[in-house]
Amino acid sequence: MSDSEEHHFESKADAGASKTYPQQAGTVRKNGYIVIKGRACKVVEVSTSKTGKHGHAKCHFVGIDIFNGKKYDDIVPSSHNCDIPHVNRTDYQLIDISEDGFVSLLSENGNTKDDLRLPTDDNLLTQIKDGFAEGKDLVVTVMSAMGEEQICALKDIGPK
Amino acid sequence: MQGFPDRGGTPDLAQLQSTMHAIELACTSIQMHMNPAAAEATILSLSQSRQPYQACKFILENSQVANARFQAASAIRDAAIREWGYLTSDDKINLISFCLGFVMQHANSPEGYVQAKVSSVAAQLLKRGWLDFTTAEKEAFFNQVNQAVSGIHGVDVQYTGINFLESLVSEFSLSTSSAMGLPREFHEECRKSLEMNYLKTFYCWARDAALSVTNRITESDSAIPEVKACTAALRLMVQILNWDFVCNSSGGATSTSIFQVGGRQASDSPKRSECNLVQPGPAWRDILVTSGHIGWLLNLYSALRQKFSCEGYWLDCPIAVSARKLIVQFCSLTGTIFPSDNAQMHEHHLLQLLSGIIQWIDPPDAVSKAIESGKSESEMLDGCRTLLSIATVATPSIFDQLLKSIRPFGTLTLLSTLMGEVVKILMTNNSEEEAWSWEARDILLDAWTALLVPLDRNGGNELLLPEGKNAAANLFALIVEAELKAAAASAFKDDADSDYLQASISAMDERLSSYALIGRAAIDATIPLLSRLFSERFTRLNQGRGIVDLTETLEELYSLLLITGHVIADEGEGETPLVPNAVQTHFSYVVEADKHPVIILFSSIIRFSEQSLDPEMRQSVFSPRLMEALTCFQLLHTLVRQKHICLHIVALDSWHDLANAFANEKSLLLLNTAHQRSLAQTLVRSASGIRNSESANQYVRDLMGHMARYLVELSSKSDFKVVAQRPDIILSVSCLLERLRGASSASEPRTQKAIYELGFSVMNPVLVLLEVYKHESAVIYLLLKFVVAWVDGQISYLEAQETAVVVNFCMSLLQLYSSHNIGKISLSLSSSLLSEAKTEKYKDLRALLQLLSNLCSKDLVDFSSESIDTQGTNISQVVYFGLHIVTPLISLDLLKYPKLCYDYFSLLSHMLEVYPETVAQLDSESFCRVVASLDFGLHHQDTEIIDMCLRSLRALASYHYGETRAGKAGLGSHATGVTDPSGNLQEGIFSRFLHSLLQLLLFEDYSPDLVSSAADALLPLMLCEQGVYQRLANELIERQSIPALKSRLVNALQSLTGTNQLSTTLDRKNYQIFRKNLNKFLIDVRGFLRTM
Repeated sequence: MSDSEEHHFESKADAGASKTYPQQAGTVRKNGYIVIKGRACKVVEVSTSKTGKHGHAKCHFVGIDIFNGKKYDDIVPSSHNCDIPHVNRTDYQLIDISEDGFVSLLSENGNTKDDLRLPTDDNLLTQIKDGFAEGKDLVVTVMSAMGEEQICALKDIGPK
Repeated sequence: MQGFPDRGGTPDLAQLQSTMHAIELACTSIQMHMNPAAAEATILSLSQSRQPYQACKFILENSQVANARFQAASAIRDAAIREWGYLTSDDKINLISFCLGFVMQHANSPEGYVQAKVSSVAAQLLKRGWLDFTTAEKEAFFNQVNQAVSGIHGVDVQYTGINFLESLVSEFSLSTSSAMGLPREFHEECRKSLEMNYLKTFYCWARDAALSVTNRITESDSAIPEVKACTAALRLMVQILNWDFVCNSSGGATSTSIFQVGGRQASDSPKRSECNLVQPGPAWRDILVTSGHIGWLLNLYSALRQKFSCEGYWLDCPIAVSARKLIVQFCSLTGTIFPSDNAQMHEHHLLQLLSGIIQWIDPPDAVSKAIESGKSESEMLDGCRTLLSIATVATPSIFDQLLKSIRPFGTLTLLSTLMGEVVKILMTNNSEEEAWSWEARDILLDAWTALLVPLDRNGGNELLLPEGKNAAANLFALIVEAELKAAAASAFKDDADSDYLQASISAMDERLSSYALIGRAAIDATIPLLSRLFSERFTRLNQGRGIVDLTETLEELYSLLLITGHVIADEGEGETPLVPNAVQTHFSYVVEADKHPVIILFSSIIRFSEQSLDPEMRQSVFSPRLMEALTCFQLLHTLVRQKHICLHIVALDSWHDLANAFANEKSLLLLNTAHQRSLAQTLVRSASGIRNSESANQYVRDLMGHMARYLVELSSKSDFKVVAQRPDIILSVSCLLERLRGASSASEPRTQKAIYELGFSVMNPVLVLLEVYKHESAVIYLLLKFVVAWVDGQISYLEAQETAVVVNFCMSLLQLYSSHNIGKISLSLSSSLLSEAKTEKYKDLRALLQLLSNLCSKDLVDFSSESIDTQGTNISQVVYFGLHIVTPLISLDLLKYPKLCYDYFSLLSHMLEVYPETVAQLDSESFCRVVASLDFGLHHQDTEIIDMCLRSLRALASYHYGETRAGKAGLGSHATGVTDPSGNLQEGIFSRFLHSLLQLLLFEDYSPDLVSSAADALLPLMLCEQGVYQRLANELIERQSIPALKSRLVNALQSLTGTNQLSTTLDRKNYQIFRKNLNKFLIDVRGFLRTM
């Protein structure tokens, strides 16, 4: 098993190199990720047809778009490949929220990132804004996959 | 909301009428769905007002609205049960005789439900006063009932009387009694008293009532009113025989009868259909067995059978159904009712019944044909049930003999042909509407199981005679044929019913083990049959390769493998199964191993699984991995559970090929994760077959070492953080973690060393992975489960220094996990993604709690050579520290998951019970968490959780009490209370819980089961905080405004602490006294405290 992994390491694949990877459908599990209809989804349900039996099994996936929360499903023969999105998450410190709905973030290595919009959903928006307004020291986790980016989690690391 | 006036004096007519109108209005408006909340409140206020009896009686007698009468009866019940403590005994008797008189007077009323309600109110009140009423008072009621039941007041009154007895019996039976806010002991005593003094009498009344109308029923050609009374009487008899008799052991239980007394219903025998044994004891012999009662019943039913063509009678008419039920129950009659020195009596009894019902099921082909062409199947099913009952109470040989005196064949042959017919029906039309054949199959299968299940694990079952064996063999062949046919037919079926299949897998498993019992009964024939069928299919597979579609054959093979597996081995959930006795003893005459039929069958299966390892064969025949996974791995998994098989397995070349493939071949990484784990477990477990411990460890190292090294290398790469997120890397990391988990869970003393090294070598990588994958919950969960399994397998063997290492590792793991997750909020638009995130968290936390419990077990089971204290490790401190880290992560929302809640509280209560002294050393923050948790748990809905909290409180309080009496600090400031930084005095733990426990006991709803453990917690709490208790008691008394109730309360409080020589020690005896006192106290005061 080691040969090909070594090979991957030497290729120095960086995060942007490939948006998706092929993987056999039979090995995709619940809580993993999958691309359905061109969208990066989290797998919330996998069922294999013909459970407990022999036959040409097919996998039925139900996925939820990790960015917009829409539900998709797909059926793939278990021996075929399907696309798995490369989902990256990075933690940043939240420095500022600007009037025009952008946030400015500070990364671990000291760079700033100012091109990310606040979420449009009111609920999420207030969760972030309120925490920030209370003067809490907030770390946000930014999730990126297939060219899209979004804040996916928020963590309070104590008062400023 | 409208209230009703409490009864001051006698209410005048106008008042009564206005109450009646209000209730009638409320009842009608509920029916019309107009403002139901207000209407319900009106009705509720009637039952909650003081002494509403006058008004209720008025409504019952005068109202034209049936619902209002129903509600009035129900109000009588509620109010009387609540106020029972201070009703005068005249009041009580009046209420009961009013209800009884009411039902008798209105016996012909068309509103059956009002009658039933009033009747059940009378029964409940009679039970409530059962232990207080004198015998004469009870006799007065029963005389009235007896007259009614005997029929001298007409059929309607007779029916009403029988119905009253029915509700009385069901009220006195523990499983059907209604709650009265009284302890279990009360219900138990009532039950005993009724069984001793009245039950048999009631039975005789019912029998006489039925007898008195029998002639009229058999002589008339159409349905007559007597049928209704007779049906009720039969139903009452069925109900009385259903009673859970306890006084049956009074006979000579010392001599062993040839009939098993209840022994057949071993708790682990797989039972689907219910078959309750009826064991009333020798006192019932005269009425049930020797009086010709059964002959009458059988005659009655055969008379009914003649009438099924008449108007008003049919196969499923109530009287026929009740009669058949009673007959089935008579078949389950067993125990000391039959004298142990007279086996003929039981045999005769069964024979009489069997000859009575034989025409229901014999000849089987005609019966099944009649049902197929539209006859109701209920009689046939009841026939099957009688066979099941007889099979349950008789040994196989007696069972078989019974029929021989009236037929040329034995009962086993009948059973076999009958089931054969059912299987044929199932085979021909395997659609879901054919519910009757499913049901019949299940009942008959249970009968076989009852006959064939081995009575004890070492002594075998008695062997069947050749005829019985033949019957079993024929049936088994038919069953296998049917299963194979079903399997072949399902090969091309669509996946529509896959959900259904999964749900029925466990049912199928159960069915297969019953089939296996039948197969084992005729093992001479079945093993060769299975071998033959298997090799036929196998040859077909080899010949047809690449030429024809083999899906059907594969499907058949799969099904055949399942059946074979069940025949040759017991399933061993969690335990190591032995070779079944039938298999073990039967072929002892075969000396050469190669000719042993079981070995022939076995080796052909192993050859078959070897084929699946052959890549070419796999390509052409075994399409997806499912086949391998389901047959091979499941099979292998069971194989390694037996040590002597392991010995052979590890010597096989193919086993080494498999191990090699597992360690080095990439294709196996494509297996489903659960199979990865089970394969690793299987392979590691087989090491127990290697005789030499050193080579066993080496084998594990060779098998797993490669993977551990790979993880170490991977995690130390400088760019690991970047590549780690790639799906292919995530996949292989997950696979490796699954395998490590599987290997860890196969830990055995012999391989413990190698598995410890394995885990030790990946400790650092595990922490690195935990950091890198902190957002990848699926990986984190696998990782935690691996650590849990590893610690579980290792902890009790570790030496002090190793324990310290493992404990430190676990603590870093906990801290790291906590630092990633505490205060973290997931943001997502999708509610299902949010709830997924919550579920993931829940699973993680459960794993962490399991980890702590596993660490905890070091103090209980420890095989190491020196005490762990030498390294300064104190397990209790470690676990409390762990809890301190984990607790903040557990939110109230997460505690809604019952399993997590249960795990958390069982760990917490274990810690508090076993190590109360460590609690004293907790800092105030950790201590506050403990207190808050207990407080939460005490108000939980789940009785078990409350019980655990009560036990913790008892442990803490009794520890503190003992320590302070010995002049030590006990829990110190935690007990006395502290002033927090803002200057408020925090109440001490014991005074706080004394208060809330009293509040709970007196004013809130809880299960009566909790009273004992609450008493055990309350006593030490009261002793710790005597001053607080006095204050609370005084407050309670002050709040009571009615003088009579006030003095009752004062007396009750006094006797709570002052009677039965309650002392201030905490020994067993004193706890018992206090439990008794508290029970009595609650019965005395809870009723009025809660409602006033």
